Amino acid sequence: MGVVTFLSVGVRFEANVEALNMVEVSGNYARHRRVPYVITEGGRLKVVYVPAVSGESIAHGYQVALAEEAKALGLPVCSYCSIGEFLKSMDEEHAAEKFDGKVPKLSGRSKKEELVSVVGEIESGIVRKCVVEDVGGFLYAGNPPVKRTSRFMVSYALPIKSVATYATLEPQLHARHARTAGERREGAAEQMIYYVETGTAVYGFTFNLDFAGVGVSSYSGRALVDDVKKRRLAAARALYRVLSSQGFGAKLSRFLPGGGAVAMVATLTERPFTVTSPIYDGFAESTRERLERVKATFGEKGYYFEMGKDGLKTPEDVLSAVIETLKKEGTI
Amino acid sequence: MVAKTMGTEVSGLEEFESIVRVLRFFAATRNYSFLDRIGNALNPETVEVALRDALRTFSSIYDASPADEKGLKYYEYEEGRRIRLPAKPSEGEVAAFLRAVWQDVGVARRVAIMAMSVPAREER
Repeated sequence: MGVVTFLSVGVRFEANVEALNMVEVSGNYARHRRVPYVITEGGRLKVVYVPAVSGESIAHGYQVALAEEAKALGLPVCSYCSIGEFLKSMDEEHAAEKFDGKVPKLSGRSKKEELVSVVGEIESGIVRKCVVEDVGGFLYAGNPPVKRTSRFMVSYALPIKSVATYATLEPQLHARHARTAGERREGAAEQMIYYVETGTAVYGFTFNLDFAGVGVSSYSGRALVDDVKKRRLAAARALYRVLSSQGFGAKLSRFLPGGGAVAMVATLTERPFTVTSPIYDGFAESTRERLERVKATFGEKGYYFEMGKDGLKTPEDVLSAVIETLKKEGTI
Repeated sequence: MVAKTMGTEVSGLEEFESIVRVLRFFAATRNYSFLDRIGNALNPETVEVALRDALRTFSSIYDASPADEKGLKYYEYEEGRRIRLPAKPSEGEVAAFLRAVWQDVGVARRVAIMAMSVPAREER
């Protein structure tokens, strides 16, 4: 048996009166993201529109936490990622700091060997200088273009199936005030009203993290750095932080959602295995059964953690147990 | 400065002409999101929600745009480029369109196609 390197987490969280993912402003109205959702009603399928939080929004929150955790562990993070602007090494200008201003390029008449060599050099240079781009991937659109796939995956946060029709979207009236004395402009209204659409639902989402790919080349499969375990630890701690503090979403300054995690399931496996989506009732039981089947079929190791069972009372208990197991296994 | 109207002819879908014109306005201003949602819809619910969002946005733009001396409304979508706003669709036209969509969702796709085409009669 090998080492467990694949983490999958399913989370259900209750969020009341939130504006976690706003998509559009038309006039004085800011709209919440909503998506079509198939539910069964009276034995028939029906499409309803429900509030949702995009995976991109959650990924942004995770990468902010990752930058912080990496820096706290003394690992390298580039200047843009440090401030939460995940432009990544998208072009020569943004990749420059990883190469002291000289990004490797192809010569005029390049051969295949040169292409492979330069692509490897670019990926290696970026990964060595930034943990966020190592774990979160990047797309360098220069010459030659280089793509590194993200080592983590995250789903949309969607209302759970059984109570999806109880999810709501409601515009809330707000007012901005103009000055009423002194330099007040002639004709200006004293109040400017605007509406922010707020969502309320019990959401579920899935997060996967492939530790095997951290610090490893997408092209050659070879390790690119010496501190792989420390980087994996940063990746795990960032997930802990983001799930513990619900550190994702927009407009948190005035719309910090009421609620929190109500269920969590995590698995650690040798090869990719994703927990059953938490939008389904019985997702924990289903995950446990599926994991047992996979373990038996492939003869692989696998660990299962569930909030509310085996003394794991809180989300933090689950995530701590995951990190302890990763340490025990020698993954981090 | 170029001022265009939204065109007037919608062959075969005359009933929904004002809706086509509103969608044509979004196409002309390169805001394709509503058109894509309506044109790609696989079920009537999707069309309803997308049309509601489109009309909500159009209302905001329409109400915020000043009228000229003839009472015509224009929208400046880029510096030096403005476009004449079509009228808001009537309640009856919207209801007829939604009824048609519930009978055949393909109507929405055809309306979106018309909105992306060059109107047969165009005033400059």
